[in-house]
Amino acid sequence: MANTGKQLTMPIRGMTCASCVATVEGALKSVPGVSTAVVNLAAEKAAVEIADPQKASLPELVKAVHEVGYEVGTEKVSISVGDMTCASCVEHVEGALRELPGVTKAVVNLPTERASVEYIPGLVGIPDFRHAIEDVGYKFLGLVEEGAAALDREREARQKEISRQRRNLIISWAIGLVIMVGTFQPYWFLPKIVPAFMNNKIFLFFLTTPIVFGPGRQFFINSWNGLKRGLTDMNLLYATGIGAAYLIAVINTFFPDAGFGGREATFYEAAALLTAFIILGRYLEAVTRGRTSEAIRRLMKLQPKRARVLRDGQEVEVAAEEVQIDDVLIVRPGEAIPVDGVVTEGYSSVDQSMITGESMPVEKKVSDEVIGGTINKTGAFRFRATRVGKDTALAQIIKLVEEAQTTKAPIQKIADKVAGHFILGVHALALAVFLFWFFFGFGQWFSPESRLILTPYMLMGMGVFGFALLVSVTVLVISCPCAVGLATPSAVMAGTGKAAEYGILFKGADALESTARLQVVIFDKTGTLTKGEPSVTDVVAVGRSEQEVLHFAAVAEVNSEHPLGEAIVRGARARGIEIQDADGFEAIPGHGVEAKLDGKTILLGNRRLMAQRHVPLDGLMPQAERLEGEGKTAMFVAVDGQPAGIVAVADTLKPTSAEAVRELHRMGLQVAMITGDNRRTAEAIARQVGIDRVLAEVLPEDKANEVKKLQAEGLKVAMVGDGINDAPALAQADSGIAIGSGTDVAKETGHVILVKDDLMDVVAAIQVARQTLRLIKQNLGWAFGYNTAAIPIGAGLLYPFFSQVVSPELAALLMATSSLSVTMNTLRMRGYIPPIRRARLAGAKA
Amino acid sequence: MSASVIGAAIYLGASLVAALVFFAITLAGDYTWVARIGGSLWIFMLGNIVLMPLVIPWAKRRRGA
Repeated sequence: MANTGKQLTMPIRGMTCASCVATVEGALKSVPGVSTAVVNLAAEKAAVEIADPQKASLPELVKAVHEVGYEVGTEKVSISVGDMTCASCVEHVEGALRELPGVTKAVVNLPTERASVEYIPGLVGIPDFRHAIEDVGYKFLGLVEEGAAALDREREARQKEISRQRRNLIISWAIGLVIMVGTFQPYWFLPKIVPAFMNNKIFLFFLTTPIVFGPGRQFFINSWNGLKRGLTDMNLLYATGIGAAYLIAVINTFFPDAGFGGREATFYEAAALLTAFIILGRYLEAVTRGRTSEAIRRLMKLQPKRARVLRDGQEVEVAAEEVQIDDVLIVRPGEAIPVDGVVTEGYSSVDQSMITGESMPVEKKVSDEVIGGTINKTGAFRFRATRVGKDTALAQIIKLVEEAQTTKAPIQKIADKVAGHFILGVHALALAVFLFWFFFGFGQWFSPESRLILTPYMLMGMGVFGFALLVSVTVLVISCPCAVGLATPSAVMAGTGKAAEYGILFKGADALESTARLQVVIFDKTGTLTKGEPSVTDVVAVGRSEQEVLHFAAVAEVNSEHPLGEAIVRGARARGIEIQDADGFEAIPGHGVEAKLDGKTILLGNRRLMAQRHVPLDGLMPQAERLEGEGKTAMFVAVDGQPAGIVAVADTLKPTSAEAVRELHRMGLQVAMITGDNRRTAEAIARQVGIDRVLAEVLPEDKANEVKKLQAEGLKVAMVGDGINDAPALAQADSGIAIGSGTDVAKETGHVILVKDDLMDVVAAIQVARQTLRLIKQNLGWAFGYNTAAIPIGAGLLYPFFSQVVSPELAALLMATSSLSVTMNTLRMRGYIPPIRRARLAGAKA
Repeated sequence: MSASVIGAAIYLGASLVAALVFFAITLAGDYTWVARIGGSLWIFMLGNIVLMPLVIPWAKRRRGA
């Protein structure tokens, strides 16, 4: 794609003919600000000339093409970004990337230190991303690779950061503690054990300077890099805080009569310990941040490295990535299955818990599917590879979870916006606080006996400027919004990762949040609540045995391809009935079938067929009505014009349907069922599972409208369906839950994908989502609560009453504690088991 | 003139004015010279920090338009 001044060339996907060309051209020309648009079908490109770039923005053009049913070809990359420390960094990097013409979406995740960028190739590329990121003062560490390589690289980068901060931490704390002891040498019992020279201001100056310009240098450099591009981040708060404390100490050391409080007010320990506490916070953050992404790391670790492949009749060991589709692989007990496939020989049980969350091993025999990354437990077997490399279930799950972790929940967008503007606000506040204490507060309340909280220091030597500056610096340090920046993304990562462990895949943070806020869950009936495969449930006989009645029915249907007919034949065979071929067979559309056997005429069908053939049904009607009332399809059997009985067929419920509905009710959710069946049958099924709201006789294409109607009532609606037939309804719902997708998760529509065909996972998904949202709220509550409480205290609110102010180093300690408490709270998710799972595990153990 | 020069002129100028106003007010009170000069420098510095992120993007936008 080329961008020559006011001309763009966009790749267009989905065009097949000249009319497509006209449509796309028309759509592009309809965008205000576009002067001409010419589409080349063969090249699949549109050249757009823009008269007014303000009106004809790229998103507008993409939207116009999309609205007429075509797509602008986009690509997606994930970039590893270094030196991001807080929510405002996220805003800066996202802003820089979004400003690039050709970028349609840019989302930055702070805990993973990744930027996910969707862009139109040709218009913009990787070098542009590099420049944009570096221009705002961060490091472009390269594109994120997939799988194990990415894991190694990420681990290496994290280790490097941890080592760097550890080195800084050791230096700053080792020297900082000496400075603290030296500073307090004249107090308490210290004169007896600490030599007096340690309190010498020049000595302290020589100790503090290496801390400020060694480990503390990063804050000055980073804040300057941002500031010269017009950006503020929390490094600036630190730099101003450390710089001001150090500067006052230096002035008081070398120019004691300058009026800053003299040599008695050289706060070297403030500058040193402020640096040390901030670095402690950085170090702990670097260590704990990695742990929130442990789940995805565990998934990545599942990817086996080696595979035994049968080549030319020989068993050869190759790298797992070299396995080709249709290769035959050999797996021994205890080994990991390298790729997805189908068993061709042998029998075993396989532990699939890491992919599906099933606690019990699953038996595998010939023709059964096996999933790469799962563990073979008992026997050896051979299987044919069906999906390899990026197409395996495990690779798709990892990709899905990674993508989900780079998205933002709506709640996070608000927090990021607040944090992004926070730094600026804090500096403005520091200015206001300075003016207040300088012109008013000092004269009004200052007492020479007042002191810094938790120190023996008296502020007697301090003048108006020194005091106002001290309070102003404390406000800068205490207000850091790092906890706000970490609150949501760390919880989302932990939540999506934890869900993946149970075979529950959230496609994004928004899906997680909307699932947590659900009020109504609609289940599709066939294939979701029920098995989707009818079976014989009742046989009623008149003057014959039930076996005979079922035998006649099965003979009539033996050649049928109708699902109900197949169910009868299956049911008869399951009861050991031998079924002969009928002598004659005729299907009567909409009514039933007629067959002949050994000279007898068998009729099987509905009451209209029986009425047409004058078969009296009086004795059978009460049973027929009872069966229909239970949601079953009753089919009458007549032999030689006389009623023989009824065979009832129904789609049976899945074993966990009723329990799942009960659990959802217990959680305070409304549960509804949607089906194309008639109301009577639908209500009968609904009664069996305990569903109170039935949406019956709904055509498949109208399911989405039914969801919309509920949403119009102001309800947050989940639609649970099979993911393919119910795609429009799943898309319409606030949370579309595709159930039982098996291992081909990439194909699924819906916002949440359940690998297993178990309705209890719907319950588990909502429980995990609710727990994650709870964590987010707690984290945000704590982070904002901390700032709300800490800022007034830092600004000297307590001083008029208690004559004590917070020192900058205590402010730094409080700030570090705040970030740490948010991360620690998130780490609680590591041990979380959804209550429904816990109950099941307890049941299994009992 | 480039956007960054225009931006710098604005935020430096505005911060300087704020610092001078502060200095002028302190002249009316009983403050030491250290307090007057130190305070003015602090106001100048914080003024710049507050104004830079507001003025630079504004100047860039204006220049771009």
